[in-house]
Amino acid sequence: MFKYILKRIIVAIPLLLAMSLLTFWLMEKTPGNFFDSLKLDPQISQETIVRYEHLYQLDKPMLYRYLIWLKNLLTGEWGYSFFYNVPVSRVLGPRIFNTFILSLSSLLVTWLFAIPLGIWAAVRRNKWVDKILSFLSFSALSMPSFFLAMLLLYMVSYTGLLPLGGMRSAHYDDLGFFPKVIDLLKHLIIPTIVISLGSIAALQRIMRGNILEVLRQQYILTARAKGLPEHIVFYRHALRNAINPLITLFGYELSGLLGGAALTEIMCNWPGLGSLMLTAVRSKDVYLVMASMLMGGILLLLGNLIADILLAFSDPRIRL
Amino acid sequence: MRTFTRLLLFLSFFLFVSPASFSKNFSPYGGTIVLSTTSDPKSFNDIIAKETSTTAVTSLIFEGLTTVNAFNLKVEPNLAKSWTISEDGLTWTFYLRKDVLWNDGVPFSADDVVFTFNSLIYNDEIPSSSRDIFTIDGKKFDIKKIDDGTVQFILPVKFAPFLRSMGQSILPKHKLEEVVKNKKFNFTWGIDTNPYEIVGTGPFQLVAYKPGERLVFKSNPYYWKKSAQGQKLPFLEKIVYLIVQNPETALLKFIDGELDYYALSGKDFPLLKPQEKKNNFTIFETGPSFGTNFIVFNQNLGVNEKTQKPFVEEKKLKWFTNVSFRQAVSHAIDRKKIIEILNNGLGFEQYSPISQADGFWYNPDVKTYGYDLDRARRILKEAGFEDRNKDGIIEDSDGSPVEFNLYTNSGAIERIQIAGIIIHDLEKLGMKVNFKILEFNALVSKLTSTFDWDAILLGLTGGGADPHFGQNVWISSGQLHMWYPRQKEPATHWERRIDEIFSEAVKELNEETRKKLYDEFQMIVSEQVPLIYTVLTSNIFAVRNKFGNLKPTNYGGPFHNIEEIYIK
Repeated sequence: MFKYILKRIIVAIPLLLAMSLLTFWLMEKTPGNFFDSLKLDPQISQETIVRYEHLYQLDKPMLYRYLIWLKNLLTGEWGYSFFYNVPVSRVLGPRIFNTFILSLSSLLVTWLFAIPLGIWAAVRRNKWVDKILSFLSFSALSMPSFFLAMLLLYMVSYTGLLPLGGMRSAHYDDLGFFPKVIDLLKHLIIPTIVISLGSIAALQRIMRGNILEVLRQQYILTARAKGLPEHIVFYRHALRNAINPLITLFGYELSGLLGGAALTEIMCNWPGLGSLMLTAVRSKDVYLVMASMLMGGILLLLGNLIADILLAFSDPRIRL
Repeated sequence: MRTFTRLLLFLSFFLFVSPASFSKNFSPYGGTIVLSTTSDPKSFNDIIAKETSTTAVTSLIFEGLTTVNAFNLKVEPNLAKSWTISEDGLTWTFYLRKDVLWNDGVPFSADDVVFTFNSLIYNDEIPSSSRDIFTIDGKKFDIKKIDDGTVQFILPVKFAPFLRSMGQSILPKHKLEEVVKNKKFNFTWGIDTNPYEIVGTGPFQLVAYKPGERLVFKSNPYYWKKSAQGQKLPFLEKIVYLIVQNPETALLKFIDGELDYYALSGKDFPLLKPQEKKNNFTIFETGPSFGTNFIVFNQNLGVNEKTQKPFVEEKKLKWFTNVSFRQAVSHAIDRKKIIEILNNGLGFEQYSPISQADGFWYNPDVKTYGYDLDRARRILKEAGFEDRNKDGIIEDSDGSPVEFNLYTNSGAIERIQIAGIIIHDLEKLGMKVNFKILEFNALVSKLTSTFDWDAILLGLTGGGADPHFGQNVWISSGQLHMWYPRQKEPATHWERRIDEIFSEAVKELNEETRKKLYDEFQMIVSEQVPLIYTVLTSNIFAVRNKFGNLKPTNYGGPFHNIEEIYIK
């Protein structure tokens, strides 16, 4: 087991290197650099821009800068953000935490709702519950998340029940521990619904499909034939097999923890990574982009690894 | 007698509204104002700050020697209480206020001023964006301390915008001297700094910053300015800036009462106006904004050194350098319609390179180009452009059909809408316009290094209150002289004249004479139309009805006198 994990980690290193080189190259090859916006400021001279580019080493060849970045990375330095003039870790730190909270809450809500709903729909196949659920799923899937966010925000603005976007109230710092938690939870409700609704719908459909497929297998027929009670056939034999493909999916979802909520974050004013990264890419804040890309890459590989390990636990046919 | 009573009533009315007559129990002190901004500050370091989301925040914390009066745009004393100028116009002596303390209680002195210029702005290791303003023909100012309360600036040449540029924020020597010595200044006062380390003389000081969420300022207990009645300022206790990226969310927050202020565009106006009473706010429309949108045609005569091909195709160059062609295009821009459709009628047609918002410098007599397609067709015909083969596209005198690419940058939705309206009319003139939307960086590359474009619809940042600071755009050697940048010799007689005007005007200390020069410059530009201006939007904002001393101006917006504003 440990040998397997070690092997996976060693394989991941060249993959991450290639990924970072590709990103660096793409950032380099698209036209312009960070100081382009300054070039359109009448008060800033050509010499100043040249001086900036020299100071930030943008006049050096790309490979040289990449290697410097790599060298610094090995010593734990992620580079400086052009935009903020501080190490990227200081810019990313608080944002990662915020995004993580939102993603975690929507991940939890998604799985807690989708799996039981999927099972329910499968059990009551072609009954009215199934039909209503499938109608709701398709409606939820076809609703763009930004529209849903706007709709919910308008509702909130009319009723005044929940805060209008953001992560904490203005008076958050003056609150005690429990009121702080409640304040945070209140702010979480709308963005969590926006992110989860589509995923619940999709996951619920997948779960339902998986169960129905498993129920057609011959070992289910065997189990029924040898006279096992239906709930044992369903929960012990069918469900365990139906859930395995979802574990792989879960691994992928882990990698989306940091990047999956960008649009919702912007709509709901959630102070996460989404908008930060959007401006970073557009303004060509190279090292900020590199850091977030690298983290996304690591999470993807890690998510896959975790999924594989979980799968090995849940499915005895797989051995690591 | 009746008139006397009326007069009395009239006078007592004034007594009541004047802030001197706060009732006995009323205290103007305390309270919070909640504002919003669309993006996070990038740094609190005012010297290396490169963009507006930062400077909007630092302007509450730091002050300069002079400031600009928001009502008449004249230069006024701020940290300096007065100044004198030598006969030759080169030596300026500033007498500083003696009652100014930094917000950590340390007295402000001439050392801070000298430090800000000599150790920060002129420091080669510090990427200061203000350095260009204080460098003339590559020469720096010579700045000396005379005594604790007196600073002397010796300029290499006469520099008319000097006083205005003295609005430059002064930073505390006692806080930063060590940092500069250790070569750490570039990374000082970043967004992760303990807010109390950021020391300024301004009315407010930063007390908290949560990235992506909010900035909190509280009043500076050591602030020097007093109200007209001698009260200590500022009145407000706290300013909270919520960071709200999405303007729709900000609008909801404003309607909901969470925000006290919302800057609206013309399209929000019909939605908000009917709600004024119900939701207890007032909408102010103060006049034209500074932001411009214009079309520029590429007149670059240069040749690409690598490929030996001209930047602009020969036939196109012939059209674009023809002033009749540009004037005809200007006549084909339906500015009224743009204002109507984009801004619900709230906007201004623009023809001068200096925005009407500039007040004093603006020349109202510039040549205008009303929407007149027939006239445009006539001008084109006289210049040899005509649809000879009746295919709907006009040809030039050599028979080449007029077809060109118009670029603008993605993300600027308003610009894309303007382009749509303009292209529709240009097509009526028989021009074939291929509209292309590029990523901002790609557009800047075309404009400043590859020069392979025909026409661009664009706006410019910066500029501001003194025409001289637009010189990179207007002088023929400027790198932002978009239609033909970095010329060795002015390509046309009118560009030569503009070069002369700018170099003359910057040395002219008499404002009236100087204004005449810039008036001429505006006339030339409006006749030659190297940049074809479109419209200026209106400055419109809504403010909750709870503030006293609110005196919005077009230049300063609603909160230029934030230290005097109080909650009623």
